Amino acid sequence: MRNFRILIKFEWFNFRADKGLLILTMLTLFAGIYGIYYGTTEIERQRENIKTLDVLTAQNVEEMKQKFPGDADAGDIGYYHSTYAIHNPDSWASLSLGQRDINPYYIKLRLLNLQSQLYDTDNINPLKVLSGNFDLAFVLVYLFPLLIIGLCFNILSVEKEQGTLPLLLSQPISLPLIVGAKLTFRIMIVLGLALILCLVAMLWGQVTPDIRILLWLSVVLFYSLFWFSVAFLVAAWQKNSAFNAVTLLGVWLMLTVIIPALLNVYVAVKQPVPQALDLTIKQREVVHGGWDKPKQETMEKFFALYPQWTDTVEIQGRFAWRWYYAFHHLGDVAVADLAGEYQQRLHARHELVEELNFLSVPVNVQGIFNAMAGSDLPSHLSFLQSATQYHDSLRGFYYPFLFKQVSFTHADYDKEPRHSFSSTPDFTSTYTGLYKLVISVLLVFFIGLLVFRIKQ
Amino acid sequence: MDIVLEAKQLKKQYQDKLALKGLDLQIKAGEIFCLLGQNGAGKSTTINLFLGFIKPTSGAAYINGLEVAANITKIKEYLAYIPENVMLYPNLTGLENLALFSSLAGFDYDKVQLMHYLISAGLPAEAASRRVGGYSKGMRQKVGIAIAVAKHAKVLLLDEPTSGLDPKASNEFSELLLKLSEAGTAIFMATHDIFRSKEVGTRVGIMREGELVDVLSAAELDANELEKLYLNYMHV
Amino acid sequence: MVKSIAKKEFISTLRDSRFVALSVIVLLLLLAATMVGLHSYQTLQEEREVAQQTVNEQFANSADRHPHRMAHYGSYAFRPKSSISFLDFGMDSYTGASVYMEAHRQNSANFSQAQQSSSLIRFGEMTVAFVLQMLIPLLIIFLCFGAFTQEKETGTLTILLSQGVSLQQVAWAKIAGYSKVVLLVVAPALVLASLLLFGRGGFELNGDLYSRLLLFMLFYLLYFFIFIVLSVVLSALHQRSSTALVTLLGIWILFCVITPKATANLGATLYTTPTKAQMDVEVHEEVAKGVDGHNSGDERAEAIKQELLQTYGVATLEELPINFDGVLMAVGEEHSSKVYQEHFDELTAIFQKQNNISVFAGLLNPYLAVRHLSMGMAGSDFSHYIHFQNKAEQYRYNQSQELNHIQATKLKYGDKETRLSGDTWKNLKPFQYEAPGAGWALSNHSISLVALLLWLGLVCTLGIRLIGYSKIA
Repeated sequence: MRNFRILIKFEWFNFRADKGLLILTMLTLFAGIYGIYYGTTEIERQRENIKTLDVLTAQNVEEMKQKFPGDADAGDIGYYHSTYAIHNPDSWASLSLGQRDINPYYIKLRLLNLQSQLYDTDNINPLKVLSGNFDLAFVLVYLFPLLIIGLCFNILSVEKEQGTLPLLLSQPISLPLIVGAKLTFRIMIVLGLALILCLVAMLWGQVTPDIRILLWLSVVLFYSLFWFSVAFLVAAWQKNSAFNAVTLLGVWLMLTVIIPALLNVYVAVKQPVPQALDLTIKQREVVHGGWDKPKQETMEKFFALYPQWTDTVEIQGRFAWRWYYAFHHLGDVAVADLAGEYQQRLHARHELVEELNFLSVPVNVQGIFNAMAGSDLPSHLSFLQSATQYHDSLRGFYYPFLFKQVSFTHADYDKEPRHSFSSTPDFTSTYTGLYKLVISVLLVFFIGLLVFRIKQ
Repeated sequence: MDIVLEAKQLKKQYQDKLALKGLDLQIKAGEIFCLLGQNGAGKSTTINLFLGFIKPTSGAAYINGLEVAANITKIKEYLAYIPENVMLYPNLTGLENLALFSSLAGFDYDKVQLMHYLISAGLPAEAASRRVGGYSKGMRQKVGIAIAVAKHAKVLLLDEPTSGLDPKASNEFSELLLKLSEAGTAIFMATHDIFRSKEVGTRVGIMREGELVDVLSAAELDANELEKLYLNYMHV
Repeated sequence: MVKSIAKKEFISTLRDSRFVALSVIVLLLLLAATMVGLHSYQTLQEEREVAQQTVNEQFANSADRHPHRMAHYGSYAFRPKSSISFLDFGMDSYTGASVYMEAHRQNSANFSQAQQSSSLIRFGEMTVAFVLQMLIPLLIIFLCFGAFTQEKETGTLTILLSQGVSLQQVAWAKIAGYSKVVLLVVAPALVLASLLLFGRGGFELNGDLYSRLLLFMLFYLLYFFIFIVLSVVLSALHQRSSTALVTLLGIWILFCVITPKATANLGATLYTTPTKAQMDVEVHEEVAKGVDGHNSGDERAEAIKQELLQTYGVATLEELPINFDGVLMAVGEEHSSKVYQEHFDELTAIFQKQNNISVFAGLLNPYLAVRHLSMGMAGSDFSHYIHFQNKAEQYRYNQSQELNHIQATKLKYGDKETRLSGDTWKNLKPFQYEAPGAGWALSNHSISLVALLLWLGLVCTLGIRLIGYSKIA
């Protein structure tokens, strides 16, 4: 134990004196701080934008009130007035932005056909989303492994190459002790850095303090240990530094880029999602076909599905709002199967990835982070569900005016339902992911130990 | 006197070569044993076996009565080692290097003591607090000597220790060895240097193709005869 | 002498089993990426072609309708994949595949690949461009890091120099040798890609495609050459192979992993993207100041009405030879489209500003330069995307106006009932997207091109001169 402490102390001296390592560590620290800054500002911006939506809605209501000073036909309001379905970021989202930059976090809704509105996107700069988010999760998932590789690729080989190993081994200490001390020192550095960054991110992002603090830190701990185990496994092979560096970088590239990219191809082939275009084409056909069909036919079909609105007067003349909304509504009904299938397929894609993520620890960890932060695909799908329900509730609100022929007054605007959805963390995925991660760590570590024994 | 360094039928077989063919050797405390031989004769193999860096194919090496292969860490407490080319941590100073190795050996010297060892080994005082990265081979060798001396070991293993030193430093080194042997240290030195061997050696062994072909006590020989004898063995 | 060094490098590299193994892996990945790219290209292209054809037919075979109804029925533009985008997906996976085009409403491009994927897609895609941009440089680093350090470590450099060659000559010789090796690894894949492109059919062969492909390859060859020279120079400046390798790997990480993301994120932080909601509201407000085609009781509509009545010298709208409804629609459309286009251009300008950070960073990082050029040639870059969106908007505008014209000429004022025969719609031309030419594509990337050439010049002059400062002993 005494010698262990001495070795660690001199590792510190060596580390302190090595400009390259210091630069590497500082770079990671800065990258981490930038990642935290970026993540928090991005989420802050989304929150600001969401707040603005309330203002926009209020403005829209004012405009409506001016446009329709007296009692209005609810049909006009439903047509001209818009509100928003809102996907509030979870407080943890600033740590892992996930898919929140690609998928819209609000949807502008009118009383019209839902399916033609549900998939509208926000303004997205494709180069930016292609390049991805420089958030804390990126720093932890991509850059920390590189830091670990930079610190550990020559953990043993450098002693051989600079010739200090014989002199060191002529002291009463064993090789496992030396490797153990060196690894421990580096683990302390890396975990210390990770802890600082994570705590800063949690404080800065003002996350909800719950079990996720513990979970997040455990994931970071085990993920770092995974890369240390990989570095240990490669070091145990006792090859030269150049070989180790190339091998480790190769493993990194394999796990963070090549395997995920191949998995992505596999998932796309295995779970194609052709429904999107079909859906968009079909809903147009049905909705616009509504104009050409006899009104009575449309209404009968609608009443068959929604008998609660049946007790109304027959439609006279060229146009009536309730008929208009009925065929819009029927447009949604006609593509409900396709829409359901579309979302189901997306779920299936996500689940397939979850099944296969044992092939790449970084994919697993990124998945855990996104699941914890509620910024993954299922969160978005839940939001779409919630937006659908909101649209239903809008219909529930407006239909009595339309079908019972009640005028819409200024007081009614306040009664219109508003929407707000906050994604919830997916703890099931988190625990499964963590469990897989721990297994990966143990597996690699024991293989490393085995190789170390054999090669010694 | 105690036997502190011993080899019993020590053999080392590499894949295609029998590097050491059953060495029997006993060295007592205070003795200086010089091992002469060509490159590849098995000198370094012998030292590495005593250090436990390699495992014997058969037979055993003992340090202070303990079998090396079975007490691989324990025996390091009794020996000090100076390799042919002392390599140190380039980013640490000479002083820090010495502090590291001494503390690993169990000696926590203060700065004054550390300086004393370095200066005694011949390192200029101003160099001690510079990084080793800028040292010459001879300066590193001197730090290596200081590390060995500061360990106060019963056995000192030397592998061509003077190969990087100038004549003056080399001479000082000889004096140091004699002083250590007087204090009771057993010294085992693999070397090419016939004259130095004659000067300091209590006994001189000649090794050829993994065999100790002759052992002479220094008193029996003068330098000329040793050289002739050595060359004889080498040419047969 | 120089030739013999080059030959020595070439032969000894080919005899290095580790390098050969790595090259085989890279080559296999390159082939896999080509196949994957082609498959994905064909699937998506087919999907979109079928969809486009379906909507075109639907439009042409529409029932008898009122023209303005038809204008709202609208069309879809499905973005066709550019032929060589199978080599570099670029932004294609992140851009919407379909735009719904209707009267006086501009819709977003929806259903991008990325939206239909889990976060897996954010790890990157298996494309030829990925292998060429990231893996080949890594292979080059592995090939070249020991160019000088190894000779220093074994002491052969001093012997070599004592034979009367200069350091620079040795460097050029090595560069020549390594270039040959790299070409040997890359050429089969590039040849295969070309064969697939020209052999499998389905692609329209034309001069433009040739020039795009040739430029695509040329840029990559320049990029590889830059990396080879850079690696050799850095090897010369180091004493030990391991430190040379670590430095080069560090540069690779900085070039290929950190800066692309950092610059793109920095751009987005510096120049705020307005939300679509905000933009829609602004457009709406500005449009409201103009003519509302659906509201003829409006003041501005009144002015137009008076003007028309005067021009034709009639007293009432009913007496006009043209339908006032259609005219009003057309005026409204013209106004709202103009307002929208202004805002869209503003948005594009903001995106362009964001992207410029990464474009100009190409001057410091050849990876970024080649990335932009590659996407440009493959037709999967930002400009092509905007080009498509603009074309779609143009089509939308023209179609709306054509339908307004029909309404103005074939229908009477106040007629909201009459349905024109379905044959009318057959005369409207369906949406067809023509990708712009190679010259246009290249002109969008002049800075990246300059950056790449600058790098080439810099490593070949300054870099090689730096070798003179190499410590030999």
